[in-house]
Amino acid sequence: MSAYTLQKLIRAINSDPAVRARFVEAPEALVGEWALSEEERTALVSRDYGALYRLGVHGLLLRPFSILHDLPEQSYLEMIRGRAS
Amino acid sequence: MTIAFAAAIGHAPGWVAWTDRATDDQQANLAAGVEALRESFIAANVDTLILLTSEHWANFFLDHMSPWVVGRGDAFEGPIEQWLKIPKTAIPGDPALANAIVERAYANGVEPGFSYELKLDHGSVVPLSFLTPQLDVPLVPVFFNTLGAPQPSPGRCHALGRAIGEVARASDKRIGIIATGGMSHDPGERGHGVIDSAFDRRFLAEMVRGDTAALTRYSIADLNAAGAGTIELIAWIALAGALGTFSGEVLAYEAVVGWATGMGIMRLEQTG
Repeated sequence: MSAYTLQKLIRAINSDPAVRARFVEAPEALVGEWALSEEERTALVSRDYGALYRLGVHGLLLRPFSILHDLPEQSYLEMIRGRAS
Repeated sequence: MTIAFAAAIGHAPGWVAWTDRATDDQQANLAAGVEALRESFIAANVDTLILLTSEHWANFFLDHMSPWVVGRGDAFEGPIEQWLKIPKTAIPGDPALANAIVERAYANGVEPGFSYELKLDHGSVVPLSFLTPQLDVPLVPVFFNTLGAPQPSPGRCHALGRAIGEVARASDKRIGIIATGGMSHDPGERGHGVIDSAFDRRFLAEMVRGDTAALTRYSIADLNAAGAGTIELIAWIALAGALGTFSGEVLAYEAVVGWATGMGIMRLEQTG
């Protein structure tokens, strides 16, 4: 499993209300503090679930992250299966 | 003393949080199955439950993964998920029994990690909420790494289970052992909602007839082939190890697409 730091940040957003609030208010600032690739930063800030999945984020981190943002299950599945942009 | 109670049971959060995504027939069958299990549990008069349960990124992350972690704490808080609609509480632990499990396992050449501080999520609290609605029966949780590869093999989980069974039988207390998780599911992954019920029925049949050889022959890849979450069945295989010679009875099985998992409920007993 790759994308260690990316997954660590997503887990922090999912589980720590303070980190979550920062992600909502100023995602670029938060994401800039973590050692991520440009591709990872862009995918996370734009909440590109398909890209995050392809970058190696585990489903039990990514689906809870998407639920935080009220993404319906069917939309989530279409994105990670690559049937939506 | 023999093991007072043994069961294997799914822990889908949908069972309590989005129940109505299962069909009426599925809900009724699972409700009848878990009610039958609860009656057995009450009759068994269990003092402490050993819960063989799945890690879901609640306690551990890739900064430090152990194959298994035994909970030695005085109490365990849960559930951590507010959306589960089960009030958060602190379930008492049984540190003496937990210590005995750790020591016996190490003496047997199986070395689990241990922790005095573990949180419980749906993987533990959903089944407990049916069997112990007051969430007040002392608990020793044993967390299995079902997430970060490589995970412990079925054969090693069976060996850990054997140590747990030895401790349970040697205890002065009446010990119950519950394995939670499974069955076929691929949560949050591309196959979310896809359930290999043929796999599940084969696995259940092996648990019914106490087929240790078949259960320990599975590889992690075999389990993953039925969905990434299917690996949670390593806890069921550890339960088989705890029981040794055993048979089981399927109280309910349903492939619940709306909960994205095969749901099995089994009662088991040592026969040798």
